[in-house]
Amino acid sequence: MEKIKQNAIVKKIGFNSLVLLCVMILLYIMFAVLTPMIKTNASFVSYARLVSALKYAYFLGFLSLGVTFVIATGGIDFSIGPVMFCAALISGYQLTSRGWPLAVCILICILVGTAFGLFNGVLVSYAGLPSFITSMASMMLAKGLGSVFTKTQPVSWPQSEEPGGWYRNLVGIKAGGMEIPTGLILLIIGAIICAIILNKTMAGRYILCIGSNREAVRLSGVNTKKWETLAYVICGTLAGMAALFYVGKNTTVLPGLGDTMNNEAIAGCVMGGTSMTGGVASIGGTLIGVLIIALLQEGIMAMGFQIHYQYIITGLIVLVVVWADLRSRRRRN
Amino acid sequence: MGDVILTMKGIDKSFPGVHALDHVDLEIKKGEVHALMGENGAGKSTLMKVLTGIYSKDEGTITYEGKEVEFSNPREAQDAGIVIVHQELNMLGHLTVAQNIFIGREIMNGKLIDDKRMNEEARKLFDQLGIDIDPKETMSRLTVGKQQMCEIAKAISHEAKVIVFDEPSAALTEAEIEELFKIIRDLRDKQLGIVYISHRMDEIKVITDRVTVMRDGGYVGTLITKDCTKDDIINMMVGRVIYEDPKTESAVAKDAPVVLKVEHLNAGRMVRDVSFELRKGEILGFSGLMGAGRTETARALFGADPKESGDVYVNGQKVEIKTPQDAVKCGIGYLSEDRKRYGIVVAKTVAENSTMASLENYMKGLFIDKKKECQVAQEYVETLKTKTPGVDQLVVNLSGGNQQKVVIAKWLVRNCDILIFDEPTRGIDVGAKSEIYQLMNELVAEGKSIIMISSEMTEILRMSDRIVVMCEGRKTGELDIAEATQERIMHAATLRD
Repeated sequence: MEKIKQNAIVKKIGFNSLVLLCVMILLYIMFAVLTPMIKTNASFVSYARLVSALKYAYFLGFLSLGVTFVIATGGIDFSIGPVMFCAALISGYQLTSRGWPLAVCILICILVGTAFGLFNGVLVSYAGLPSFITSMASMMLAKGLGSVFTKTQPVSWPQSEEPGGWYRNLVGIKAGGMEIPTGLILLIIGAIICAIILNKTMAGRYILCIGSNREAVRLSGVNTKKWETLAYVICGTLAGMAALFYVGKNTTVLPGLGDTMNNEAIAGCVMGGTSMTGGVASIGGTLIGVLIIALLQEGIMAMGFQIHYQYIITGLIVLVVVWADLRSRRRRN
Repeated sequence: MGDVILTMKGIDKSFPGVHALDHVDLEIKKGEVHALMGENGAGKSTLMKVLTGIYSKDEGTITYEGKEVEFSNPREAQDAGIVIVHQELNMLGHLTVAQNIFIGREIMNGKLIDDKRMNEEARKLFDQLGIDIDPKETMSRLTVGKQQMCEIAKAISHEAKVIVFDEPSAALTEAEIEELFKIIRDLRDKQLGIVYISHRMDEIKVITDRVTVMRDGGYVGTLITKDCTKDDIINMMVGRVIYEDPKTESAVAKDAPVVLKVEHLNAGRMVRDVSFELRKGEILGFSGLMGAGRTETARALFGADPKESGDVYVNGQKVEIKTPQDAVKCGIGYLSEDRKRYGIVVAKTVAENSTMASLENYMKGLFIDKKKECQVAQEYVETLKTKTPGVDQLVVNLSGGNQQKVVIAKWLVRNCDILIFDEPTRGIDVGAKSEIYQLMNELVAEGKSIIMISSEMTEILRMSDRIVVMCEGRKTGELDIAEATQERIMHAATLRD
């Protein structure tokens, strides 16, 4: 075991991420075997199923990548799901009811997310409010603002053949009966950029250090408030981007929803090895965590179970992961 | 004074690497107030912790009411009638006074808590003590003095026979101290044995009957208070042989430029009108007893805590320091007394910690230049002789002395000219200690200037060129090393207004 851990390649990728990757593959095999046994004439192994699962992973992935930065500072953001919905509602309303150009609406969509991130970040780091409460409050604000903006009407984004339907290419491009998963490419590019920010830039360095020991960083003469706010801004911006992938998959956005998305995004992040106490974060882990959640959801649907089983399983997984994290931390101390 | 109620004889206690108590004796009689005195780290608190069962003793006997006892936790000691009134009050602020007094042994009415009866009982206790506190008042709304009275009431409700007061007056006003003394005298007249731990010489003269002095974990002697002078006690407290040669004269030229000047600094109760100057190449020692306000002064100067007023000049220029960022820009670095909390990020590597304060100089465009970072970290690992397998080692795996060196490296990488060392050798073993001393001497030789806060008298006398002494937030003395002696420092450190 120790030998594997010391291997150079394993070290580079991270032992936890590798374990998680194995879990993901095992899960896929499990669903592939179980699905035909439980439900006759059903199969899990198909390109369509894979694409469906991936589409779920795109928007969840962007949410999860964003919240990884906030959790790395030792904070939490419970507003990302509703913020994503709020962004999709506001920009979608402008697109469909007001006829604004798509490019402008995409920008608005992302900026709504950025604005919420900035709002949360300023309140948490400059006003010193607890992130838990702040993000709970802005969760409600996001829900309410989105609904009020569309006069409590759902918004349906255009289909691909309609004008302004180009955004769907972000999720997938249909070519000769097959669908090219552009979303996966974009998610991976997003993850790589996030990993670079977290590991190679000043922002990432200070975000992680703040999560580890905020006071020591502050006493080193670092503007901790600025960097902490930035983590929330990154998180919000990515939630705004996630909205584009959400409508690319689901088309219609209902007002007043989005809470469950927070939990799944945070679950993906925690599963990936990001510590809830801050200071330790893994972008690769988050990505795999999200894929596992998407796989679970697809597999459970394929077997013909209610989607709510997925919540139970995700909940249990999160508990096990957090418990294991805590244990290894205690052992180290 | 009556019969002996408590005797501690030949108490010996060692922790790994430290002989904390070396055959200490203490004898308390019924109806006496017995002062326990000594410098910081003399072993007073340890002795009391052994008494109440927080620590187990290695050797010695405790005789209480004629029987040999050994308590395994404070609860047992409490039940037997030995209670400590702590310096930091163990009160739950949101509960009422009565609820606090009866915490853990609430008066019940069936399955429900009987607040009414608890209030009545608390009222009786206060009447007994002659204090006017409403048992229904929320604890956090009382002054510190009144909270202390509640602690005493709580102690009495345990039917205490011996009460230990651990620096009870540290946070009290003059009037509150008067009230406290009245209560202590009452308790004495009721034939309780009272141990009174304090640094305040004049209080000792006023309130106590006998004084036991400890030094470096050992027992020095017991005096009858009215037969001795303040100087007798001070001499007993500091009368140790200094093994390290103290500095005899300042190494700094008389006309060396002033690099830092602080005028009339005020910040809360612990920093009151503090002014001082630091010269180039000087080690300015800050001496004083625990809670004298030295760390608070440093933190206010550094911008770590807000200050109310006061001017700071760096190299003759007036500067506004509101945050640590400002201080670092002025070339000031602060090494905290609490390394783990304020100095290092333990979960990060030596290299990452080394560049913490100057990361902007180790960037290549948007990205951190990790090669350059590791190079500079390696350079300081070598100059400071930090023992680490490599610069990519997590700091948590380093020993205390080496962690301290990483903190020093952080400020040297930043090229700070003014360094504040707050208890630089606390928790560091002897070998590493002298390395840190040597390093500080090298730094001042290079023209850097150091403020060194230390509670160790030997350290102050060995390292400083000049010494500022503080007591209760005020500067009570400034001595050149040539004229400084332990007695003079201790005298200034106990100078209350």
